[in-house]
Parts: sequence; structure tokens; C-alpha cells
Amino acid sequence: MISIQLNGEPLAVPEHASLAAVLHERRLDPNAFALVLNAELVPRNRWQHIRCRAGDKLELFSAVAGG
Amino acid sequence: MTQRPPGSLSDRDFMRYSRQLLLPEVSESGQQRLFAAHIVIIGLGGLGQLAAQYLAAAGVGRLTLIDGDRIELSNLPRQLLYCEADLGLFKAEVAANKLQAAHGGLALRHHCLAFDADNAGHLLAPLLAEPHALVLDCTDNFLTRQRVNQACIERRLSLVSASVAHFQGQLFCLDGRSLAASGCYHCLFPADTRLSQSCSTSGVLGPAVGVMASMQALQALNLLLDINDGGYLHRFDAKSLHWQHAKLTRDPDCPVCSPLWS
Ligand SMILES: [Zn+2]
Repeated sequence: MISIQLNGEPLAVPEHASLAAVLHERRLDPNAFALVLNAELVPRNRWQHIRCRAGDKLELFSAVAGG
Repeated sequence: MTQRPPGSLSDRDFMRYSRQLLLPEVSESGQQRLFAAHIVIIGLGGLGQLAAQYLAAAGVGRLTLIDGDRIELSNLPRQLLYCEADLGLFKAEVAANKLQAAHGGLALRHHCLAFDADNAGHLLAPLLAEPHALVLDCTDNFLTRQRVNQACIERRLSLVSASVAHFQGQLFCLDGRSLAASGCYHCLFPADTRLSQSCSTSGVLGPAVGVMASMQALQALNLLLDINDGGYLHRFDAKSLHWQHAKLTRDPDCPVCSPLWS
């Protein structure tokens, strides 16, 4: 296991876990968020191809459409 | 439409805009550029009505206001341009009348209709020949935001987009200078994104809307003045008052913006 941060909280995830797998494991709806990895957005169709590394900071931004 | 005559700034302009002219990033040439700018504001609710006031007051030469909604009682706590006497009237029309009364040199156009894929071409056509053109997305729903994004990408128009609901606000700016790296709104939130919050279902505090509208107007001026060309998503938490910033990333497979690079 490696340690990352999800929305500022520490989280242990399996080594080589993809971003998509982390969301799946947490039962988070992948269609409800934009995902920010170390202060850069990751397009949704890249989530299954990018693997977590120790110390990664993940943030989930839900879409806001009001005005 | 009336319009400010071209040429150098009058003595009255120097007095009126003195506080922004003092900024080297603005100066006389920047003010001339604001006079020459044309901004289309889509949505005259909480965001649009305030952004429009700031941009008109800064001396932006032309504003086009688009909104098909009428003023409702529940708008008044955050849409401060409108008052009780305006209830039931079209937002775009009332906003245009009030802005014109406050800023005689401003050229205003308004359309009391909802922006959609069918009227996008007609509504945005006047921007296409303008050197300092800009669209502000101040709308209140996801579908319209996707349409505004698509219309701007197709026409290579710069877009400053703000949104707010519950205790969260988001702001980003798409511009030709940063677009190859940033991608578009669909890269950020694809069309099948599920939304949890809107102002009408989850509520919002007036000043939280004002913060986002002020940032949107500021980003618009920064863009027109070449101070900042966007490419970041800024997220505001209205409870903690914290801001977060994330670099936008283009999705090479995005159906909306990838045609620009093919
Ligand atoms: Zn895109």
C-alpha cells in the first residue's frame, strides 16, 4: 500500500492503483466530478491509465452550474 | 446604440477612470482597449447583473445582454441591480436600461431570450469582427453552459465562465493563447457529467454570488488588458473562504475542441 491524499485526507491505496480504481474503491460516481491530481486536472478518459504514486494529492471537484 | 467617439481620452475620461489609469497595466492604451471592447454577457441573474455593472463602469465600450428570464421576488437578495418595482419585467431589458442611465457612453444591446444552439450564431455574430471581443457565461444550468462553450470554441471566441451554487463557486477562462493546453469546458466537465447542485435546488448566499461575479469581471478585464490569459480553474469555498487553483488540461479526444487541432 502507498499513502496519498484525497480531498486533503490521508488515504492508503494499493501500489499501482489507477485513479479510476481509487474512485471505484471509494464508491464515488466518476461522472459526478472533475479530478485534480497535484493541482492539474486530469481528463476523465485518462483516469484508468494514470497510476497513483506515494504522496499524490487528489481532489474531486463537483460541477457547479448555477448563476 | 450610442457610442463613445474614437480618439484620445477626454479630460472627463481622465477624471472618471483615474484610479484604473494609474495602474501601469491599464494606462491610456489599456483604457482605449476597454473602450473598444465588446462583451456579450449570457445570463443576467446573480453573476451577470454584477459583472455587467463592473464592466460598464470600467469603461467597456459595448455590452450585449442576453437573458430570457423575468425578475422574480426570490432574485432580489442577490441580484442587486433589480428592485421591487422591476418584478415581472425582463432582466435583460431592465439591466440595459439601468446600465444605460448610469453610463451614457456605453453602447448597449439586449436580447430577452434564452441562449441556445439555434440562436447562438445570430447572437454572437457581432463579435466575430471585433478585435477585443469576449463572452461571459453567467448562466444557471449545465446544458446552456455546454452550448455556450461549444459556440465559443467553434467561433474561437474567448470565454470567461463563472458559476456558483450552495457554498461553492468556480471560475475559469478560455482564450486562444492558452487553449491548446487548457482545452475547453467539455474537457473539464464532459456532457454526461451528473450535477448535484443548482441555486434553485440547493440555495446560495448573495455575497457568495457577488464574489464569483466580481472575480469574473476582474478576469474579463485582466484578459482584455493582457494581464492574465486564463487556463486555470479557480474554486471558491464560501464556508472557509479558501480558494483552490487547478491547471486546466486539454482532452485530446474532446468532441468539442479537438477539431481545432486536427
Ligand atoms: Zn474540449
